Amino acid sequence: MTIKIDRRIYNDSVISKAIYWLSGDFIIVRSILDDNTELLSITANNANIDEDAIKTKLMQTLNDFKLRQIVADETRDIKTILYAKAFAEDEDLNEEDIHD
Amino acid sequence: MTDKSYYLLPFDFTEISGKEVLVNELGDLIVSPKGTVQKIIDRSLPKDDLYKSLVANFFISEQIIPPLAEIYAERLREKKRFLESWTGLHIFVLTLRCNQNCVYCQASSQNEESNGCTMSKETMAKSVELMFHSPSDSITMEFQGGEPSLVPDLIEYGIELTEERNKEAGKEIHYVLCTNSIHLTDRMLDICKKYGVVISTSLDGPAFLHNSNRGKKDSYEKVVAGIEKGRKAVGTEKVSALMTTSVEGLNYPIEIVDEYVKLGFHAMFLRALNPYGLATHNDNWSEYTDRFIEFYKKAFEHILELNKQGIYFVEEFAAIVLRKMLTPYCTGFVDLQSPAGVINSVLIYNYDGGVYCSDESRMLAEFNDYTFRLGSVNDKYEDLIFGKKAKEIANVWANEALAGCSDCALKQYCGADPVRNYSTQGDMYGNRATSLLCRKNKAIIEYLISLIIERHDEVMPIFRSWVS
Repeated sequence: MTIKIDRRIYNDSVISKAIYWLSGDFIIVRSILDDNTELLSITANNANIDEDAIKTKLMQTLNDFKLRQIVADETRDIKTILYAKAFAEDEDLNEEDIHD
Repeated sequence: MTDKSYYLLPFDFTEISGKEVLVNELGDLIVSPKGTVQKIIDRSLPKDDLYKSLVANFFISEQIIPPLAEIYAERLREKKRFLESWTGLHIFVLTLRCNQNCVYCQASSQNEESNGCTMSKETMAKSVELMFHSPSDSITMEFQGGEPSLVPDLIEYGIELTEERNKEAGKEIHYVLCTNSIHLTDRMLDICKKYGVVISTSLDGPAFLHNSNRGKKDSYEKVVAGIEKGRKAVGTEKVSALMTTSVEGLNYPIEIVDEYVKLGFHAMFLRALNPYGLATHNDNWSEYTDRFIEFYKKAFEHILELNKQGIYFVEEFAAIVLRKMLTPYCTGFVDLQSPAGVINSVLIYNYDGGVYCSDESRMLAEFNDYTFRLGSVNDKYEDLIFGKKAKEIANVWANEALAGCSDCALKQYCGADPVRNYSTQGDMYGNRATSLLCRKNKAIIEYLISLIIERHDEVMPIFRSWVS
């Protein structure tokens, strides 16, 4: 089966991470159709999985990784600050080091 | 700055039992309705109890830097406290000779009469010297084999060297003898008694199962007699037992637990086979892993039932995970650490003078694979610990930086294992999507969380008693 993905909604990192986790159960070939569209050609290793189930699984995984990406992007600086406070004895990072 | 009513703090999430389980960098978890993460990101959360809990538990902050950032940092530091003490566990593989013939032997043991596979006194002396280079204030010297009780003179020699050396070093020293308890002679037990050596033996379950696993007709009777003898010599609390779940053992979860209870133990570690040594001959690891997960759950349910009946009995793997989940502390368990336990927490001095980064890596060496050989006992400590090989391993020993692990909500409770990745998947980095270790660990951790969600009032008193 094939599924078209809008890369304006799911960026390359999100698609890559979703496919990584699905690679144990599916063979997924990626093709770029145009600037905004990517085609995923999917074959299940287990022939008993129907297409709707594959699509549901893929979309759920993509959506989860998109949420994770948003959290990671928004917390990158504060994560650095908190880890620096914990482990880098000479680092003195504060509010000015957080960038929007 | 964009208009934000609150700020996100780092966390990840997964779905368990129809709920969204949010886990932050500190290992704290919050169980919430599905769709919560989307609402958190959209800033559409009502300011209800969940909101307050998210603020109080460091998932979101009403200020750009959390007011309790210092506490957050201290808790983060505590979770990695095991790194501060450096290598604490030093395993001495004294001999490959063994008096059993286990079907799943992971240590490539040799016949009892074999020659050339026992550590020399010179190697012991150099190993002890290396051990004392570890900055750790607390050191465990563990004797393994083969069957180490076959060489009591070497054990005594190693302990005496250590005691002498420690007069100057002043470290806290613990001794552990890993033995099948078949050959616990009076001489061996006198050594244990004199130096407070803890005995860690192995028992796979009831007689029919244990004897079948060991390839001997009378192994069970001898082990049980050895356990009793050991308890009389060093005290009941200093004798523990470890089981390994053979393929046949997968059929007997209840019987195995009951055997441990019958023999007076208060804890057991439901341990899966490792794909090393003779155990590699098991031909279907995927099926084994799935069956082990089911085995684990059945045995665990039985253990919960025993606890509900007033019998205090701990499943050790769960206790380690729960300690990470329910307390601010880290654990000393080398298989569930990030950075990995290899080198950071454990070093192996092999009978032939090789120094390895984990017990499993010396087992690979018996099959002529020296990938994880750090060097020899003739090398300088710094060259072993900070050498090229150690740096190569260090590139892949933190699950925070591994594909698959870094986005996993359960990474705080799990660990990185480059040696297992290498032995099962052909490279140290590994692939989580096809990793059977990942499948097993995730399944068990998710199962424990599902119990907390679905049977909270029933299991939490038991879980708290295990981690307190």
